[in-house]
Amino acid sequence: MKYATILVMTSLLSIQAYAAEINVKVSGMVCSMCAQGIQKKFSNEKSVEKIKVNLDNKLVQILTKDGQNISDEKIKELISEAGYNVAEIERK
Amino acid sequence: MLKRLFGLITLLLSTSVMSHPVIYKGGTVVSSFNMSSYSDNQLLYSFSSRWATGLNHWRFTKDQQNTEIGLARLNYLLWRRNTEDSQANIYLLSGAGMMDSEIDKKSTAVAFMSGFEADWETRTLYTALKHYQFNSPATSDLTMTQARIGFSPFESDFENLQSWFMLQAMYMPEIEKKIILTPMLRFFYKNVLWEFGSSTRGEWMLNLMVHY
Repeated sequence: MKYATILVMTSLLSIQAYAAEINVKVSGMVCSMCAQGIQKKFSNEKSVEKIKVNLDNKLVQILTKDGQNISDEKIKELISEAGYNVAEIERK
Repeated sequence: MLKRLFGLITLLLSTSVMSHPVIYKGGTVVSSFNMSSYSDNQLLYSFSSRWATGLNHWRFTKDQQNTEIGLARLNYLLWRRNTEDSQANIYLLSGAGMMDSEIDKKSTAVAFMSGFEADWETRTLYTALKHYQFNSPATSDLTMTQARIGFSPFESDFENLQSWFMLQAMYMPEIEKKIILTPMLRFFYKNVLWEFGSSTRGEWMLNLMVHY
């Protein structure tokens, strides 16, 4: 029982230590100059390590810092503040 | 004094841009649009994704006489439609400040601006329509209507230079009875946009815009 508890806790801690990779499908993202706002909004987030905008796939790829995450609600809020709509969020 | 103030504002804004009247929350736009008969210099700050405020200076020139207008601006995003491959917007524009007129009637007076802007764009097509109405109790009213259509021969990605062929039609009945057509080239790279062209009556046009 003691070993099982340690194993579960170790597993939970190791999950938390990884960075999250999130793909966000965005509607209306047709202008690279306007989409700079998305990059700026996410770059200002403390939990975000890296942000990549792909206009061909209408995709925003977010990599969080180790052990940190960003909620779907926060992603939708930042995309909306940049002037766009979230179509889909996929977490890897 | 008023002319010096306008000149100072123009100088301060001369490194900037023109774009959507409202951009992302916390974003600033600086723009400078110049023709020999018209110029439009803006400094706008979007304090939400629907509202922007800032300063604007315009110059209208007719027979070497200028009317200059300096206003505080308030812009509102009335409607936006995002689809997978396009974005469409309608904005309401307003402003209040001073007008220094040499055209038709010499006077310096309080002035107001109202207008709208609408656009629809994909990654390779662009259309826009803009209208400004300037009113002042002591001077002649002025209007400017601008329509634009453009296409890009290829879809560039986020980090690459974008190139566009554009055609602009401007109508300023108090300045020029005919519609001024200006074919132009538009480029943008990251947060900087620049456009240049020459109108069908040989008038140059240069526009520079920066988002930050």
